[in-house]
Amino acid sequence: MLTELSAYTNRWRRVPPAAKGLFSFCGMVAAFAACSPRSALLVALLLSAATILGAGVPALRYLRIATPALLFLLASGLSLLVSLDFGGSNGGISAHLAGSELSRIAQVSCRSLACLTALLFLALTTPLVDIVSLLRRCRLPDTLLDLMTLCYRTLFVMSEAVHETTTAQSARLGYASFRLSLRSLGGLVANLSVQVWQRSQALQLAALARNNDGALRFLGPEYPDSGRAISGAAISGILLIVLAVTLP
Amino acid sequence: MTAAILSLADVSYRYPDGTQALNNCSLTINRGTRTAVLGANGAGKTTMFLHLNGILHPSAGHLLWEATPLDYSRSGLRTLRSRVGLVFQNPDSQLFSASVREDVSFGPMNLGLTDKIVRERVEEALHAVGMTESADKPVHNLSYGQKKRVCIAGVLAMQPEVVVLDEPMAGLDATMQEEFTAVLERLHGAGMTIVVATHDLDFAYGWADQAIVMRSGGVLACGSPAEVLMQRDVQDELGAVPLVAEISRQLSLIGIDLRDNGYLPRSKSELLKAISSHTRQENTP
Repeated sequence: MLTELSAYTNRWRRVPPAAKGLFSFCGMVAAFAACSPRSALLVALLLSAATILGAGVPALRYLRIATPALLFLLASGLSLLVSLDFGGSNGGISAHLAGSELSRIAQVSCRSLACLTALLFLALTTPLVDIVSLLRRCRLPDTLLDLMTLCYRTLFVMSEAVHETTTAQSARLGYASFRLSLRSLGGLVANLSVQVWQRSQALQLAALARNNDGALRFLGPEYPDSGRAISGAAISGILLIVLAVTLP
Repeated sequence: MTAAILSLADVSYRYPDGTQALNNCSLTINRGTRTAVLGANGAGKTTMFLHLNGILHPSAGHLLWEATPLDYSRSGLRTLRSRVGLVFQNPDSQLFSASVREDVSFGPMNLGLTDKIVRERVEEALHAVGMTESADKPVHNLSYGQKKRVCIAGVLAMQPEVVVLDEPMAGLDATMQEEFTAVLERLHGAGMTIVVATHDLDFAYGWADQAIVMRSGGVLACGSPAEVLMQRDVQDELGAVPLVAEISRQLSLIGIDLRDNGYLPRSKSELLKAISSHTRQENTP
């Protein structure tokens, strides 16, 4: 929900999604083009600065959103760095530091970090409906986008249903002990399965009632002065790539 | 004389599980009128509504659009669904997109209109339900009442001739109900035919031109709310009487006649006005 909050309240909310998408894409290209860990780190720094200082996403919120991904990145980096050997000469477990691979591991980790900041830039400045609309203009298959639209909407409907059901269960001591919790959890899953089926039927009826015959068609959002914003994003994006390539 | 726009003639419908939801149901909805459909849960209101929009096809009997039997071909259904807009009870079961504008555009886009026309219609529909200012909010951040309005806007954007609403007042607080009634009044003022399923007898009594009471998949009574809702069998079926009508009746029994040129108050505000005007007349020397 923090991502949602930022996407709808940031300073660049009304900037055309095409411009933000292009800048984010350039950020990813720059991440892959970066010749050294240092240049990849600089790309990551510039992209997060654009999100925090440019779009006005609070730094603390940015960190909270990025933390799970950063922990995942840290775990991946460590697993590359340390290798465990279960079949040593004396039958025990031994750990080895991949010292010779250190620079490659640093490069991969820093690149991943830069890619993460590029994606965060798009996710925290652009609501998902705008991203889907942008992907539609990029001619991604309709089925995939319809699924994204429905899943995204259903996510909120179902999270509300989960909240309501767990509240009702808690009110009747459904989670008072471990045994009861397991029982209530089972009830929740069974109840949600039925709800999913009923809601999908209701959605189909609603679609039929509004003359739908297959693909979900929506009117894309309209943004003024797209040309200027896209040129601005292209220039900054190219500068980012050039910086990533030229910095030793 | 108002002309019939939609009629059901001896329509019966049985669900695949064997439930007989409609049983020789016959009724007529006139153009430009406000119709309230009442009945206990399971009386067949929602099933009847699904027939009006062509989602369900009758097992027996037939439906008429301006005296012509409905055409259930693909193009016939397309025309029918662009003429009859159906708003379901639960907004979360009918909003597809997380964006208000996108969702409202869904119906007109299905009609194959150009982006420019769709954009105009979306803005008009949002304005009609008073949602223009909230149009940029994500759907999941709207209140229940606002979501209901978005659902109506989604149907209005298709510019139907008839709007059918299944229990629109359910779950709304008093203020929201008043706002909602105002929206319905605006639509009626614009010449739209409105059909509403409701359990609220006071609303039906005060708002509707025609009341249809359903029982066991058939029509128990049909006519002006003042006549229909005061019938003994209807009161037994619905388990209540419109409060305003009952107060007027009780007052007439003790000699206080609130009729003004034969017109009895239909809403709480009209009742209060009639009582105070009666009191003034009594106090005038």
